[in-house]
Amino acid sequence: MKEFAIFWGCTIPTRFPFIEKSVRTVLDALKLPYTDIDGFTCCPEKSLVNNVDSGMWTLTAARNVAVADGEGVNVVSPCTGCISNLATVAKDLKTDTTKKKEVNKTLKEIGREFKGESTLKHLIPFLHDDFGVRPIKDKVKYSFKGMQVAIHYGCHMMRPGTALKADDPLNPKKFDTLVEALGAKSMQYMTKLTCCGQGLDRVDQHDKALTLARLKLRELKNLGADAMVLCCPSCYLQFDNNQFLMEKEGEKFGIPILYYTDMLGLAMGINPKDLGIDSHRMDAGPFLEKWAKLCQEEDALTSAERMKEGLNADSAFI
Amino acid sequence: MEESGLNFDLLKKCADCGACYDLCPSSLHIEGYDPRAVIKDILAGDFEKWTDSEHIWQCLECHHCVEICFQHYGFENAMTAMRKYATRSGKHPIQVKRGWDMFAKTGRLGEPNLGARKRLNLPEPAESGEEEFKKLFAIYKADKKTGTEEKNES
Repeated sequence: MKEFAIFWGCTIPTRFPFIEKSVRTVLDALKLPYTDIDGFTCCPEKSLVNNVDSGMWTLTAARNVAVADGEGVNVVSPCTGCISNLATVAKDLKTDTTKKKEVNKTLKEIGREFKGESTLKHLIPFLHDDFGVRPIKDKVKYSFKGMQVAIHYGCHMMRPGTALKADDPLNPKKFDTLVEALGAKSMQYMTKLTCCGQGLDRVDQHDKALTLARLKLRELKNLGADAMVLCCPSCYLQFDNNQFLMEKEGEKFGIPILYYTDMLGLAMGINPKDLGIDSHRMDAGPFLEKWAKLCQEEDALTSAERMKEGLNADSAFI
Repeated sequence: MEESGLNFDLLKKCADCGACYDLCPSSLHIEGYDPRAVIKDILAGDFEKWTDSEHIWQCLECHHCVEICFQHYGFENAMTAMRKYATRSGKHPIQVKRGWDMFAKTGRLGEPNLGARKRLNLPEPAESGEEEFKKLFAIYKADKKTGTEEKNES
């Protein structure tokens, strides 16, 4: 596998370094050839930077891709927003040679060139396509059998589809496959593909952001989800932080929020603390307790079955 | 709006279609959010009245409308054009200006939390491209100025 640079973006290192911990711990455990390279900036965030100056939006994203191009590495990001922005600009430039020439004329002045040779992938499609589902299944020591979790995809993991080509933009499946590879049931629910709504918090409309957060949380509470699993810091902010704030005001949902790498790490036998799960604002305790109980039952069952097999055997030596 | 790059032919169909209303999270769940009303005003040249509206900031850019659209266009394009127009007219949420200022100054929207990194036993963060970004931004601004002057002279 070709070496790849992790594009952490701004939100994870600034607000959620424990997510970085979770991702690094799991990538280390999977022995994947990742690297940190100098020179990245903000992707940049589309709804903010593109609204103010689309020229600078294009140039900044093109420069980030050029940094990876210069190092000869691919890019993988645990942030859906970052990868979607980078891929959108990269696709624009690859299909518009005049624009690409103009951008490269400017980039040349700082010694960079956008080639677009580095592949740009979000962590979920990367794990699915490049690492593979079978190898992930092989890593599972403790299955999530008996647990039902709700996947929140995060719009920018697969949209715009023409730029990312990561999954079906209207009916994605890869995240489901990865969750079920760990033994958990991926719940099918009405609001599964609805946007988290966190963008509204960035334009001074906090009450509306909460309206959208409630949509999923209420449905999942009614359905009895054991947890919500996602892979985007912005969606994480919406469901972990804003759920916590609403609970403080008296609305109870009780939905633990997990990053996919948290679940994968736990299944591999990694300690929750080493995945930074103790730093989440919503308590993951109920999820972990239920799971531990199921694991013990499963263990007891397996040994009971083994014992039974042993007793039923006609002879010890044939 | 002529400079917005909007495709008015496609927008005319948007004004009558509305297939994406059933998928658009803001249309479904935010009272008063009605992209077709905005599009009709854009087509009639009467879009100014929307620059002050909170609704143009409620498009989440989830791209659902673009994906479901038979023209592969969607409401999002109209909302983005309106937001750009409003921002240029100085009518934007305070947070947008605050975010832009931080981006323009540092090339990032926040600094790594070094204390937490240490506690979590994370490695030193890689160096950011801040200095190079600042150079790029300066070149871009200078080019833009020259471009505007040339345009004014002609």
